[in-house]
Amino acid sequence: MNRLTKLPTLRIDPSENRSLQYKGQTYQGVAGDTVATALYANGVRVFARSLKYHRPRGLYSLDGECSNTCMQVDDIPNVRTENTLLKNGMQVKDQNVKGSAEFDWMGFMDKLDCLMPAGFYYRTMHKPASLWPIAMKQVRNAAGLGKIAPDFRMKGDYTEIYPRAAVCVIGGGAAGMTAALAAAESGLRVVLLDARPWLGGCFDYRVSAYDQEKALYQRARELAKAVEATPNIRVFKHTAVVGVYNNNLITAFQVGGESDSFNERYLEIRATSVVVATGCIERPLLFENNERPGIMQVGCAHRLARTYGLLPGNQAVFSIGHDLGLEAAADLFDLGLQIACVADIRADGQDPQLLLALTKRNIPFLRGWVACEAHGSRQVEKVTLSTIDGSAKRQFGCDLLVASAGLTPITGPLTLAQAKLKYDMHTGYFLPVDLPAKTHIAGRLTGLQHALAIEASGRLAGLNAAADCGFDTAKSAAEAGQQLNALPGPERGTRLVSAPVKGRKSFICFDEDTTLKNIKQAIEMGFDVPELIKRFTSAGTGPGQGGIPGHNLPLLVSEYQARTGAKPIPTTVRPPLVPTFIATYAGANHDMCKRTPLHDLQKKAGGVFRRMGVWRRARYFSEDFSCREEILNVRNNVGLLDASTLGKFRIHGPDALKALQRVYVSNMAKVAEGRVKYSAMCNDDGCVIDDGVVVKLAENDYYFTTSTGRAGETVEWIRFHTRYDGWDFHLVNLTDAMGVINISGPNACKVLAKVADTDLANEAFPFSSYREFTIRKKIPVRAMRLGFVGELSYELHADASYMPALWQIIEEAGQEFGIRNFGVEAQNVLRLEKCHIILGQESEQRTNLLDLGLGFLWHRNKPDAKTVGAVALRQTEKDPGRFRLVGFKMEDPQRPPRDGSIIVDQRIRGYVCTARKSFTLNESVGLALVDAELAALGTRLEIFEDECNGKRLDARIVPMPFYDPQGERMKM
Amino acid sequence: MFGRFKPLWGKKPQLKSSYDAVIIGGGLHGLATAYFLAKEHGMNNIAILEKRYIGFGGAGRNTAIVRANQRTQENVPLYKEALDLWPILTKELDYNLMFNNCGNLNLMHSEAAMNTARMNVCTAQFHGIKSHLLDAKQLKELEPAINISPDITYPIHGAMFHPPGGVVRHDAVVWGLAKGAARYGVHIHQQTEATAIHTKNGKITGVDTNRGRIHTPRVLVSAGGYSAGMINKMLGIRLPISVLTIQAMVTQPLKPVLNHVVSSGMYHAYANQTLKGEIATGAHMDPWPNYTTLTTAHYIKHQAEALSDFLPFLRGVKFMRTWAGLADMTPDMAPIIDGNDPIDGFYMNCGWGYFGFKSCTATGRYLAKFMAGGQCPDMLKPFTLRRYEKHRLMGETAALVSYSADN
Repeated sequence: MNRLTKLPTLRIDPSENRSLQYKGQTYQGVAGDTVATALYANGVRVFARSLKYHRPRGLYSLDGECSNTCMQVDDIPNVRTENTLLKNGMQVKDQNVKGSAEFDWMGFMDKLDCLMPAGFYYRTMHKPASLWPIAMKQVRNAAGLGKIAPDFRMKGDYTEIYPRAAVCVIGGGAAGMTAALAAAESGLRVVLLDARPWLGGCFDYRVSAYDQEKALYQRARELAKAVEATPNIRVFKHTAVVGVYNNNLITAFQVGGESDSFNERYLEIRATSVVVATGCIERPLLFENNERPGIMQVGCAHRLARTYGLLPGNQAVFSIGHDLGLEAAADLFDLGLQIACVADIRADGQDPQLLLALTKRNIPFLRGWVACEAHGSRQVEKVTLSTIDGSAKRQFGCDLLVASAGLTPITGPLTLAQAKLKYDMHTGYFLPVDLPAKTHIAGRLTGLQHALAIEASGRLAGLNAAADCGFDTAKSAAEAGQQLNALPGPERGTRLVSAPVKGRKSFICFDEDTTLKNIKQAIEMGFDVPELIKRFTSAGTGPGQGGIPGHNLPLLVSEYQARTGAKPIPTTVRPPLVPTFIATYAGANHDMCKRTPLHDLQKKAGGVFRRMGVWRRARYFSEDFSCREEILNVRNNVGLLDASTLGKFRIHGPDALKALQRVYVSNMAKVAEGRVKYSAMCNDDGCVIDDGVVVKLAENDYYFTTSTGRAGETVEWIRFHTRYDGWDFHLVNLTDAMGVINISGPNACKVLAKVADTDLANEAFPFSSYREFTIRKKIPVRAMRLGFVGELSYELHADASYMPALWQIIEEAGQEFGIRNFGVEAQNVLRLEKCHIILGQESEQRTNLLDLGLGFLWHRNKPDAKTVGAVALRQTEKDPGRFRLVGFKMEDPQRPPRDGSIIVDQRIRGYVCTARKSFTLNESVGLALVDAELAALGTRLEIFEDECNGKRLDARIVPMPFYDPQGERMKM
Repeated sequence: MFGRFKPLWGKKPQLKSSYDAVIIGGGLHGLATAYFLAKEHGMNNIAILEKRYIGFGGAGRNTAIVRANQRTQENVPLYKEALDLWPILTKELDYNLMFNNCGNLNLMHSEAAMNTARMNVCTAQFHGIKSHLLDAKQLKELEPAINISPDITYPIHGAMFHPPGGVVRHDAVVWGLAKGAARYGVHIHQQTEATAIHTKNGKITGVDTNRGRIHTPRVLVSAGGYSAGMINKMLGIRLPISVLTIQAMVTQPLKPVLNHVVSSGMYHAYANQTLKGEIATGAHMDPWPNYTTLTTAHYIKHQAEALSDFLPFLRGVKFMRTWAGLADMTPDMAPIIDGNDPIDGFYMNCGWGYFGFKSCTATGRYLAKFMAGGQCPDMLKPFTLRRYEKHRLMGETAALVSYSADN
């Protein structure tokens, strides 16, 4: 196909070739082509087949409002080729076809439409019931457009940026550019977004006069130059807005050009004020076969020629409802298109200059006529025109039918910003009733068509947006307003949706193959609002996201319901306004997690890490996940554990003790200096939410630990439960600032004695006490003697920056004893042998403090403290039907049940929280939560494991703890 | 073949001044209750009041996943019965509910999570319901699209596989139940808002609507996310419910590629392919109570990040549409179903959070029995409001949850 290579409006570079592969052939395009325009240049007219009826589909809008040109490009499905820039070597395939788009074996489906009325699938394929699973497979295979492989991996770079803007202008046409320039006058930071790869909007391709000297396209380029030369305007081209959220948060994505480092880039723009100048798209005209290849909208035909240098056909018929159609007809005629006839829906109101232009060119003009049927099987060959009332008909041969009912504003960003739209009788548009705060509109979106008025409205919006940012623009805004008022206002629009047809093959939604007839059927079935009709017929739920039926559906519904006087109600628009790659939304996809100060040292020591909440922790130190060596080394010798993830807090101030009394169940007044107190916090149901230790540093100055998972919520918990008291205390979260090392085992004291500058003798530093001293005269530590794992054990808390040094000092000191690391799983088994609980493992929302056997922590005689959970504990104290935590031994010492197995008789009576083979005891032991009536010592438990095939495991309830019941080893 | 197109749930009925029962809320639970009241208990003088249109709320916004692999024996049988009901109702209503019995895969991201899942699996197996634990390799064989590489934020250790579950077409259930209820004479009043509930001597006497007063001895409130506020405002009964916004989305339609419902608690995400070919995916709850159905920029991005990790092929697929609905969350992930306490003739069915779709039909059936006979069936007894008074949470989730500062 010969290109019109000399046009000044072109956005292609005919001198630079680009090629693509399609159907085993190489097709040549040029730089600036989209995939679809390159194919069009090579004579391709049928790009795809429709979803249901497999009807041939061609280029219709050039802006991606429907799936007509969706193809598979480089293994990516559903690519809108009409606005995807061509890159060398692209592999293009047609989709949803058996055969090819040109010749599709499934084309016979088009004849079966009477078998597929609105919502037919709800009424068929279920009788007999055995039919459905088979039919469902067919439905699945028939549905869906593109194909993607389960092992597909997206190539390229996807990034993200988060710019801040005073004014964000959506739309880079004449109105948007003027708005940006006006807002920028105040020196504000302005961001201008346009979906196309260039600025200019609807001026960009038009050669009509802007004023005495310039054509519209020249004016657009002049404005673009001014915008790009303004340093405080940041322009993002090829950037589609996808979301508008509260307080003017705009999301968008930019498609990277050949020289960009990214393929696509996600943008999240926080703007003080927003100007929406998105302009209009065309409102499709409904008639029989209104989507045959060869039928396209005015802008599509016009831009194919003016932007891409492609004359859209040879012999054309126009059926339009707007002056842009007349303008395009005259211009395309001058470029060499033969025009058989121009039919205009409107009875009057045409621009006389344009009518004159048609007359001069001898183009026949029909007033009040409309296309009612297109003929031709794969491409349009002939069209029947009729009068609006259907009283007269004429036929014309053609290979191009330019069809459009009128214009419709792009109000998506406004709807997302919560603007309510109302049908405007004059323009025939859905327009915002009142605008959200700090949002302005300008340009064709408001119904303006006059070039100067479009710009004036842009200037006014830009100045008003600057005023939102605190600039006094009242005077210039008033001038701009006067200027706008002096120019022609919004133009009258057409309301006609459909030609006088029955509508069996008049498509209101191309993507879903929804016809006029389907809409009538839905209404007859009682679906009486557009939103419901949309759901029932699927109209507007396809990849075009309502671009084609968005405006027509409500008009049509209100037309059918004329009797009831229903006003057109628009259907809901939802983000993203433009379909957006998941890769693009994901952006860099950072994984953010916390590492302890000892992470690298443990990694080196062979730690196997697991993610636990926000942390990564070493769970094992060998490939033996039973952790036998790690466990026995703690029991018989000495081991080292990184416990830095524990929550660590300081609370101090005159009312610190009161706050602790409120949230802890114990009497915190009894915490003695130099001692460690173990206690728990409950919620209002008495459920234990946290446990940990508290030490008293000084009067009303405490240091306490929480469980790892609870650390994040602790400050808010204490604040919330003391919020009415006006108490004076400070709470400091030291979790990340400090690390914790646990040294446990019979040789722990010997190791620590080598490096600690203090007396560690049992009398000087007994079990359950707290000391502060230094290690090697250098590292200050807070030390506690605890017994979570049931051995002689020290917990050293030190500043995070000292942790690696401290760890290495202890490791070195312990070398002669054979000290080694142990991980979280070894700790889990060690503490299990001691029956020390881990919250979340041995507790859940059905268990409270008493159920867990921790009632001894509760100090019931401090009612003044209003302890959180105390009321519930009192109320449930005598409640018999609750769970109890019990310890059990397996009958078979070699066979522990898997965690999470249930305990049953005729019904479920509880479950196994943790159970392990104990190498120390040579038994299999565990902890379980069971119905209280089964909790007596000696009771036999039946354990039901997954995949047990009815064979239950036997266990018996035994006293707790299993290991060292007197607790002597912790105190040695 | 299709004959004439008639209104699916009858011609618009006149609002009568008196009904035997009034159901507030034209969602799934209300419609199911009305259907079974009329069909199984012969009560056909019933009105459903719906402020907008039927299926406007959670019924039309959920992603329609069904399963019976809950955690406790109080819940599992109810969900099991609902699973068994889909084919039966399809036949009864003569409406294709499109039950896609594809099975559910719940991804587990640690040894600990596998153990937690085991309790659900054991509970299901104990009740004779198919459910199994899979290791990562078995999972990959079953659903090749899943990424079991160790290099993602939450590496996948295995999954809970529940073959009887799947997806049902939610809109079909709404319309099918409406069709069935109308056939038995139930009046469905759309665009009809209940404005007050009247009581006298501890008994229900009537309901005010924007179209006039109705006398009735029985009222059921099953208005989804709006129930708690309505019950508090009209009857002064405060429920431990926090209403949160929950979001979901779909991608563009694809040929079959994902063959199970895949979900991950760790990533707060699930995905399944609808019969239309779209990948339906959600669901994130904003962690603060609110009654809006606004979507957020944060969430769609979060969802993309999560899917990029565990279903990486989706990076080449585009999101098409995102929406939000309301989830009325109780502190124990189980609903509040109660009646005749403290007001005779007053019934409530709410607190279904984001899981109200799965068992709507079975619940409606038991609730109909409750409303017809006045006696609470055993199946519904555990869901009484009084459980909170006794600090007896149901344990449907192990973790303690906190949606608002109050609970």
